[in-house]
Amino acid sequence: MTTPKPLIHVVDDDESLRTALLRLLDAAGFNARGYASVGDFLLQPPPDGPGCVLLDVRMPGPSGLDLQAALQRQGNALPVVFLTGYADVAASVQAMKAGAVDFLTKPVQREALFEALQRALARDATEREARAQAEQLRAAFAALTPREQAVFYHVVAGQLNKQIADALGIAERTVKMQRAQLMTKLGASSAAELGRLAERLQHLSE
Amino acid sequence: MRRAKHGSIVRLWVACWLLFAPAAPAEQNACVLVLYSNHRLLPANIAFEAGLRETLDNSTELNAEFLDYPRFDSESYLRAMTTFLREKYALRPPAVLVAGGKGALDFVLSHRAELFPQVPVIHAGVPRSSLQSRPPLPADVVGVPIEFDFPGTIELALRLHPHAQRLVVVTGASVQDRAWEAELRGEVPRFQDRVTVEFRTGLATDAVLERLSELGSDTLVFTPGYFEDGVGHLFSPREAVGLMADASAVPVYGPFDTFIGTGIVGGSMPNFAAMGRQTGRLVSERLAGGAPAAQGLPELMPRAVNVDWRQIRRWHINPSAIPDDAIVRFKPPTLLEQHATATVVATVVFLLQAGLIARLLFESRRRRRMELAIQQQRFELAHASRLAVAGELTGAIAHEINQPLGAILSNADAADLLLASDADRRDELRAILADIRQDNLRASEVIRRLRALLAKQPADWHPFALNDAVRELEPVLRAEARRRGVALDLRLATTATILLGDRVQIQQVIINLVLNAMDASNDLPEARRTVAVSVERDADQLALVVRDQGQGIAPEHLPQLFDSFFSTKPQGMGLGLSITRTLVEAHGGRIWAESGSGSGAGAVFRVEWPAAGGAGTPEPA
Repeated sequence: MTTPKPLIHVVDDDESLRTALLRLLDAAGFNARGYASVGDFLLQPPPDGPGCVLLDVRMPGPSGLDLQAALQRQGNALPVVFLTGYADVAASVQAMKAGAVDFLTKPVQREALFEALQRALARDATEREARAQAEQLRAAFAALTPREQAVFYHVVAGQLNKQIADALGIAERTVKMQRAQLMTKLGASSAAELGRLAERLQHLSE
Repeated sequence: MRRAKHGSIVRLWVACWLLFAPAAPAEQNACVLVLYSNHRLLPANIAFEAGLRETLDNSTELNAEFLDYPRFDSESYLRAMTTFLREKYALRPPAVLVAGGKGALDFVLSHRAELFPQVPVIHAGVPRSSLQSRPPLPADVVGVPIEFDFPGTIELALRLHPHAQRLVVVTGASVQDRAWEAELRGEVPRFQDRVTVEFRTGLATDAVLERLSELGSDTLVFTPGYFEDGVGHLFSPREAVGLMADASAVPVYGPFDTFIGTGIVGGSMPNFAAMGRQTGRLVSERLAGGAPAAQGLPELMPRAVNVDWRQIRRWHINPSAIPDDAIVRFKPPTLLEQHATATVVATVVFLLQAGLIARLLFESRRRRRMELAIQQQRFELAHASRLAVAGELTGAIAHEINQPLGAILSNADAADLLLASDADRRDELRAILADIRQDNLRASEVIRRLRALLAKQPADWHPFALNDAVRELEPVLRAEARRRGVALDLRLATTATILLGDRVQIQQVIINLVLNAMDASNDLPEARRTVAVSVERDADQLALVVRDQGQGIAPEHLPQLFDSFFSTKPQGMGLGLSITRTLVEAHGGRIWAESGSGSGAGAVFRVEWPAAGGAGTPEPA
């Protein structure tokens, strides 16, 4: 794979701790970048490469939980690992519900930290892959002619070629030909597979 | 002494009674003649006559005659004496004749027909033994016999000197002296199992005195005195005893109460004055026309143990050995006895004063104890409340400590990894170590501050700057503010903010008020979640003001705000503000709350202390 090396975004207002974390991640072979506050992070160009966020919960100004919510709203699906000085139950529950990978407490063991970050990066990679496939599907679908798209909807609705021809006012042979073409274009080998693609497309458009 | 006192009171009473009693009918005074066996100056006679006079009516005429036995006892003298008395009292015949002593009674009985044939006779001071050895007395001759208590006196001596080994008995040479000697020789065998008894009889006085002065300390002397010594010198027994007591190297005991005061320790003795009084009563009855009634009389004059307190001290006699019923003479009267009223009043006043002083001392100590208890209670409360605050601040505190600990651990891990790599990262390692050291100090500082805040230490009063107290709290307050998402706005004074008191307790006040304000900010929109703390200083006030932008305080809650167990919070104990006020007032300050009008104006808690010194002095940086 030629994907760029993942970047870990460390957001913590405590300079000393941030420096130590960056040092540790660097020594362990991670790529990492530090931010002193949520605002700092948001002011940077949104990261589009692979990576994850190592996030303090309590900080002056917007909290780590606020940032997590904002990232989700933006559709920036960087996974979040929380690292907090004091794990109060309410905050950890909220964070995990919102999809945090883990909720760690300072001082954190190196192994636990690396393991959580690896998981976050793995999830990021997986999600990135899923997103790429969906994008591909969406592009392929968009590349279909309007007539092919119309045939596609009828096919996934379970209609027979003859019914489709009647509905669209075209010949049954034409329907047959366009159906073969769109299956090729979408990379589907059966009607059942086409149905699954339709579900995914419907899911993506929601 | 007590008896003497009673006696004097009785006398006083009688005197008063006599003074105001109706005058007796004017008739010739009754005449009483007392005939004594021996001479006028015999102490026993003087004491007897005093007792007699004391008892007799004032109107009674009392005459006394002295036979001067045993010095004068010839037949012719006695005849002449009889004639003399008859002639002398022919015109003033006595209504009652008193015979004092055995000699006088003998004389009266043998010459009664020639003297005063019909006159009733009352005898006194006659030994019982002599009465028993003669024919019964005529019916109109009555009296109370006496018995000299030689054995009782010796008994007393042995009781007061339980370790004595030897008893020396001194007697004289006259007829009477020989009679006493005989009586004594009959009595002493019963003491011979306890002491060796030796008689010194009929010696010259000089010889007697010399022997007595040479006696060893295990010896006692008993003597009835004597009328005549071995070389014919005449004495009264009292004189003889006085000489012996002066010369003796050991305690002297004698059986007559007239001896008391001569230097003897004491004895069991009839009282001659009491004898006089007893006789006086008989005379009065007789004069009043009563019939002589021998059967109503006591069989014997009572005797009493008399001791001389000065001799008790002189011979180091254990006072507890003195019989309880003994009459102790010459004991210095106590203050109470001498000045009864003054002593009683003084004692009462003293006791009242002492009571008052004791009461005041007690009150003062009680107040002091209560103050201490209150102080202790305040201290305990302050500590409990600090612990409660610590509980509330747990998050902030953990954050404060875990931050440096986290940095240390991560730095150490980084160093570990760097060492495993091949490259020479020495500079980086050095930087890491420096950071570790730094964070370590930071963590200890947090803990030190916490300990100062939470330690259960007694109040420690020192001058300190309120500004500094707030500054020290800043990290923990900021951590808590961050945790709660509240903005904290700290404004310190620019001039000196010296306060005298316990810094930790004042920090407690600050924390309580700030947490209270943060609680009030919890449910507010973010823009209004601001707590402002300011230290303000003007010419005469030093103030701490804590302000929030919450809902304010309902007017009906203002009066109870600082009461214990008053709280508007669902989980509030209602102790925080109450303790806060206690601490503020303990530091001479006052605290009150104000509520801005309208919603969102928030609450203002204001603590003010009178400024202590240095107003306007610039705050040292």
